[in-house]
Amino acid sequence: MGGFGKNELATKRGYTYRLTRRQFLVASSAAALAACGPAAITPSASPSASPGKELKIGQLLPFTGVYAELGNSMRRATELYLKLNDQKLANRPVKLVYGDDANVTATGVQIAQKFIDQDQVDVMMGVVPTPLAYGIRNAVHAAKLIFIDTNAGGNALTRDTTDCKPACKSPYIFRASFSSYQISYPIGDYLSAKGTKEFFLAYANYGFGTESAADFTTGLKKNGGTVTGNVAPPLANPDFAPFVTQIKNQPTKNVYSFFSGADAIGFIKSWNSLGLPAAGYKMYGAGFLTEQDVLKEVKDLANGAVTSLFWAVELDNPENKKFVADFQKAYPLLPDVFAVQQYDGMRALDEALKSLGGDTSDKDKLVKALEDVTFKSPRGDFSFDKSTHNPIQDIYIREVKTQNGQTVNTITDKIAKVTDPGK
Amino acid sequence: MSPELVFQQALNGLSFGALLFILASGLSLVFGMMDVVNLAHGAFYMLGAYVALSVVQATGSFWLALLVAPFALGLLGFVLEPLLLRRLRGRHLDQVLLTIGVSLVIVDVIGQVWGREVRSLSAPAGLDGSVTLIGGVYPVYRLFVMAFGVALAAAMGIVYRRTRIGMLIRAGVQDAEMLGALGVDTNRLFASTFAAGAALAGLAGVIAAPVFGVQPGMDTDPGLLYSLVVVVVGGLGTLSGAVAGSVLVGPADTFGKVLFQDVALAVIFAIVALVLLLRPTGLLGRIRIAR
Amino acid sequence: MLVALGAAALVTFPYWSAPWASRFATTLLRDALILAIFALSLDLLVGRAGMPSLGHAAFFGGGAYAAGIAGQQLATDQLPVTLGAAALVGAVLALVIGVLVVRSEGIFFLMLTLALAQIVFAIAFQWTAVTGGSNGLSGIGRPMLASIDFSSPDLMYVLVAVTFVLAALVVWGLARSPYGRALIGVRENERRMRALGYDTARLRLSAFVIAGTIAGIAGALSAYSTRFVSAQDAGLGNSVRAFVTVLVGGAGTLGGPIVGSAVVSLIERVVPSILPTDLRISEALLGLVFIGFVLFARQGMAGLGRSAWLRVSRR
Repeated sequence: MGGFGKNELATKRGYTYRLTRRQFLVASSAAALAACGPAAITPSASPSASPGKELKIGQLLPFTGVYAELGNSMRRATELYLKLNDQKLANRPVKLVYGDDANVTATGVQIAQKFIDQDQVDVMMGVVPTPLAYGIRNAVHAAKLIFIDTNAGGNALTRDTTDCKPACKSPYIFRASFSSYQISYPIGDYLSAKGTKEFFLAYANYGFGTESAADFTTGLKKNGGTVTGNVAPPLANPDFAPFVTQIKNQPTKNVYSFFSGADAIGFIKSWNSLGLPAAGYKMYGAGFLTEQDVLKEVKDLANGAVTSLFWAVELDNPENKKFVADFQKAYPLLPDVFAVQQYDGMRALDEALKSLGGDTSDKDKLVKALEDVTFKSPRGDFSFDKSTHNPIQDIYIREVKTQNGQTVNTITDKIAKVTDPGK
Repeated sequence: MSPELVFQQALNGLSFGALLFILASGLSLVFGMMDVVNLAHGAFYMLGAYVALSVVQATGSFWLALLVAPFALGLLGFVLEPLLLRRLRGRHLDQVLLTIGVSLVIVDVIGQVWGREVRSLSAPAGLDGSVTLIGGVYPVYRLFVMAFGVALAAAMGIVYRRTRIGMLIRAGVQDAEMLGALGVDTNRLFASTFAAGAALAGLAGVIAAPVFGVQPGMDTDPGLLYSLVVVVVGGLGTLSGAVAGSVLVGPADTFGKVLFQDVALAVIFAIVALVLLLRPTGLLGRIRIAR
Repeated sequence: MLVALGAAALVTFPYWSAPWASRFATTLLRDALILAIFALSLDLLVGRAGMPSLGHAAFFGGGAYAAGIAGQQLATDQLPVTLGAAALVGAVLALVIGVLVVRSEGIFFLMLTLALAQIVFAIAFQWTAVTGGSNGLSGIGRPMLASIDFSSPDLMYVLVAVTFVLAALVVWGLARSPYGRALIGVRENERRMRALGYDTARLRLSAFVIAGTIAGIAGALSAYSTRFVSAQDAGLGNSVRAFVTVLVGGAGTLGGPIVGSAVVSLIERVVPSILPTDLRISEALLGLVFIGFVLFARQGMAGLGRSAWLRVSRR
């Protein structure tokens, strides 16, 4: 892929991540790991076997608009996976077809239709915004196209819902990312069980934000917790001072928030400049509040924030160490959670295809094969819930800390095998 | 709302309004002089922020960025006016449409050059702390923004009323054609005005970056939408209109969003509609119909 | 005669193109035709009546929601009901906004329409109970006429193409009627029209309502095509898109919005798949094309074509 080289990317971004000592250790241990077991990285098919039929994967991602960098990250992960696997999945050479939805739902729906009609892709992956996942659900289902959702986390996509509104599960749709329940309910349950029962809510006022806030509240109430009030700024809100001021003028010190990207940066900056840490307020949130894209901008301003997510760059397991090292070898930056989701999507597809000898002709067999996939992901044990196709995964409780000049999410606890309650 | 809370939110609203004034001043200036609503104003603002980002990355100096970004944008405006707008002199609506195209191009070019990540800029050293006010601490930078907005408005007022350039601008606002007949080089005047408008957008890009952030989409929201709202509410094309618009819209938006959060997005546009219904030319606008 | 043949060929496209064109060509053309209907309705304002609306997506989005919601609330798939609801909502929205804006002109008109359309967008985005809010409205029913189901790609195309032909006929008829000439009179010299005894505000308002009605129907067709409605359908981006389409094609001509929609569709849908993934400049390309037309060919593609034809035929 032209123009995606390491140096150019580094110049374009105007910064590089220098490897810290710790990351160097991670990288070298991963190299050692790779040296011990080469089978871990080479595809199982023997090199002498003639390559099979081309496998077309449609990647519906945003490369322009507000979510462009998520799309870029997911593209990097896709291409990394292929690079490490000889550009093949189950001995089939892969052709990637990218489509840029630009975070416009209508455009995304049209591209999905193009993948079906024109490109006739074997599998579709991607989709960042939940509305787009909902928007293409029926077309994908009708075309019996295997779609592995690698970000959009709206609960309805993998659930049974009344009249399928706003969406509902489909046999052909798998999710390699998360449901908003999974990143919000468990931490509510966890915190209230530990005795932190009163919370004030702050969340972006759109579908995903309200859903996350509601799931957190349900988890909280399970152990007798209560929500004392909320602020809900509109999505992509320019000025967070008014909302943080509201928080500062109410007595509940624990604040659960759902923001991501630019909103998270604005929220955390206002939170500090208005002196909330000194006034005793404590920040909690769904993991996107303190992911890499946010931390690299706010740095130690986020220290002390407690969030929940199914992964963190610091996660201590061999798969993650290798993944982080591989990623850093290929690109001048740390992988983020979006890269992990996409990487796991590729891995799940790869595993399923291998179990079928690369045969995608029978859709129902492929569905079955995907349902049976289990593997060790950078996030821990990964498998799909057979009835909803949402991942069953561990949720980590993380706390932001600055160590040796790097601000990271340190893992403080784990909630094992969280399943979405969808039927 | 307790009195302390009202005070704090008023402060938030006024500092937000000061940012909106800086953002909208260039749009208002260009309209006053040239009868052109520059719909690329938000893209100029965005470009200013990204230029500032590069300057801060290279030199670490916010203050240098505050000089370089307006200068760069001014230069761009100075080139674009003769290259594009001058060809359509007298066809104001076509000039406006042209700026839609300019905006589409600039935003994509920014994405190609700087990438499309979410970025931010810190307040400069010395202004990044907080001071104690009624009801707790308040960020120094927001107080600085208010002072800056007032200073900018005062400076623009002095230029308008006391200098030859200001005289030309005021004359041009009244009747640009007559000015040309009197031997003033209107080509240079218009190019300079457009450049000044772009430079002000660039300035806003730097000043607002520590508060609003630097990210894709900022060209429309807050860039273009808020500056349009301010000048339409205040009255198109006058300095006092831009001041009145930002002093009203800043607090109205702040209080509106926290009091009516479920209709937050509609609040400012409802204000626009209301003002225009009661006073079609805005609060302090000139009575003039532009075609 | 020629026009009738052309219309027949257009409507039957999926059937005679089957041997060499993929289904993608049909959906591409279908979406281009929806944009063309939308642009035709905007051109009634921009090109004929001299009302540069930058909020036309409000009616498109309003119609899209109306068709979807009416179908669900009234539990019907019948097109006369859903399209009727779309047309009605488009018209009513246009009436309400129109009353507020018809007395302003030029740039004020542009900004007022933009502001009022943003209110419609905000309502669509935040009134989750009715519109689905930011998640959008899914579960759009099937487009049925009596017992004919138009939801297959080919029949959906036919539905769009027939509607397009009808809309073009209506706009064409309006433009040639005394009413259409009066609109142009208002655009050229409103004071004189008033002196001649025309109620110019009412003329402009009626044009606004007609345009809103047609845009609402275009929105409903879009809802049926994508089986989904997004608040963005009523947003500024969509308004700008229609405006660019009209100007590139040529304002004030019947062919203009049609040619324009072909050009815009090409740049939006075909160019990105040709360009390398790292070069994401299709918006910039659209912008450059737009600038080119505003600067050098304000009469648009249609105007260019006409003058070229005149030059050839004079020889």
